[in-house]
Amino acid sequence: MNPAIAIRMVGADFLKLRKKRGTLIWAFVLVLAPVLIFFIVKAVQHSSSPAEHSPAGGISGYTDAMRVLAVFFGPLAAIMIGTDGGAGDLAAGVFRDLVVTGRSRVALFGSRVPAALGLCWLVVLAGYALTLVGTYALASGTPTPGGALVINGLLFTLFSTGIVCVVAVGFSSLVGSRPAALTVLIGWQLIASRILENIESLGSSRKLILSQAVAHFSPISLNDGGHGPRGGATVTMSTGTAVIVALGWIVVFLALGAWRTRTMDA
Amino acid sequence: MDPSSSQPAIETAGLTKRFGERTALDGIDLQVPRGCAFGFLGPNGAGKTTIIRTLLGLTHASAGTMHLLGHPVPAERAQALQRVGAIVEEPRFHMHLTGRENLRIVSAVRGPETWDRIDPALARVGLSERAGDKVKSYSMGMRQRLGVARCLLADPLLLILDEPTNGLDPAGIQEFREMIRAMVEQEGRTVFISSHLLDEVEKTCDAAAIVDRGKIVTQGAIADLAAGGGARHELIVGVDDQDRALGLLNASELVAEARPDDEGIRVVLSGEPQTAAQINAALVGAGVGVTRLEPVRHSLEQRFLQVTSRLDADLVPEAVKA
Repeated sequence: MNPAIAIRMVGADFLKLRKKRGTLIWAFVLVLAPVLIFFIVKAVQHSSSPAEHSPAGGISGYTDAMRVLAVFFGPLAAIMIGTDGGAGDLAAGVFRDLVVTGRSRVALFGSRVPAALGLCWLVVLAGYALTLVGTYALASGTPTPGGALVINGLLFTLFSTGIVCVVAVGFSSLVGSRPAALTVLIGWQLIASRILENIESLGSSRKLILSQAVAHFSPISLNDGGHGPRGGATVTMSTGTAVIVALGWIVVFLALGAWRTRTMDA
Repeated sequence: MDPSSSQPAIETAGLTKRFGERTALDGIDLQVPRGCAFGFLGPNGAGKTTIIRTLLGLTHASAGTMHLLGHPVPAERAQALQRVGAIVEEPRFHMHLTGRENLRIVSAVRGPETWDRIDPALARVGLSERAGDKVKSYSMGMRQRLGVARCLLADPLLLILDEPTNGLDPAGIQEFREMIRAMVEQEGRTVFISSHLLDEVEKTCDAAAIVDRGKIVTQGAIADLAAGGGARHELIVGVDDQDRALGLLNASELVAEARPDDEGIRVVLSGEPQTAAQINAALVGAGVGVTRLEPVRHSLEQRFLQVTSRLDADLVPEAVKA
């Protein structure tokens, strides 16, 4: 396909998402509000009892805020945007109007992915910017993250949210219903994968859980009081395994979404 | 010149679509000539939308062949649809976007040749002033017009419209009809309209096909269809001496058939309608007083009810047997 057409198609999909005020507001609320609340609470605690509570910012504050953004709430915002990107045309009933243009259905599916990713990352960047503001403004003289950690942290945040967003686009295109996809993916992200991580009898098969593979690339320790990401158990794996698992999730869900888009009655 | 331009706008042979055990389209042979408004008439559930969805590749055919603008479908579907605009069922849009933004989305998908057609298309359907408003604030009529504007982005040689006047008020229907006629007569486009509204098809279309239970019952020019196949011209004649008039009329070579009915004598002319004057003169010349001489206007509705009720009648013995 002509690159100019591809760019226009992605732009059109971005427009659909960007103008969906409800989704956009909730996505911003999900990435900004928890980080903001985290820093406010920590700052109040520190100011009321500096000996007992460390400053809200600094490396410690950055690490905790990153857990909030990159591991908990960023992926939820990614799910919101991704599911809208994947099933938005079907929900509005315009998918068939796009099909009757003669454009390949796979191309129609393909343009959803970068559009959703673009908006997802725009929202997440705002959350990351707030994290940095809190980290430096509320450091109170404690050490702050260096440039390398800031960049690595940014890349990790984009990676952890981007991969979930892509999976959400594929899954919602497969299911064809945004509410259903939203429910399943949030349920998986918040509940099911956490339960599976803690079932030790599953052994190394727990490496297949996406959040475990993603956590492998974190520049900060996601362990919290002896627990792994999001309070679950830590499953150690090699970088190669983590890459294969992450790629596997992307490939499988993109393939399923493209297949369903190509074969469904419009 | 495109060699396919001399071929019918739509051509199907043996087109069949099954949903499990149910046959929605049963061997449809359809020919839609170019440059006309063609009605696809049928009662609800007859298979009108299914044939449109199949032609456009929204669902797969179970058997048969299809050509759109001379291109075999689905083999050359992308080429065929480049110059086809379609509204399937009611026109749907992203309600949170403006009219213009909705067209931008389709234009982006269609390709660079359509990128400059958005404003002309909006102007063509009279929506320029409301193009910046969100579609959720549009009336049904405005959405129908926006749907047509979306079709016009393709500069279509063929427009396929599924029940286009659904939900329109009488003024909207009239406006829509005029727009269709202008597209056919002034712009040379072919418009394929599926409808269950007989009056609408009769007033808008040049030719039609009647479909029932997935089969084409009959197709042809509207006047021919209404007349029941061949273009028959009939008169109702009122006279003061019916027996004598019947004798004279049945003896005349201008008359194919004359028989009494409730309104007088029903005369089927063997020639053109102008011969009515000669018949009048012959009756008067023979001393028969003529009190009424009125051409019979065949309506598509009569023909439609006739052919669809014939199907019902055909089914009765089977039902009884069962």
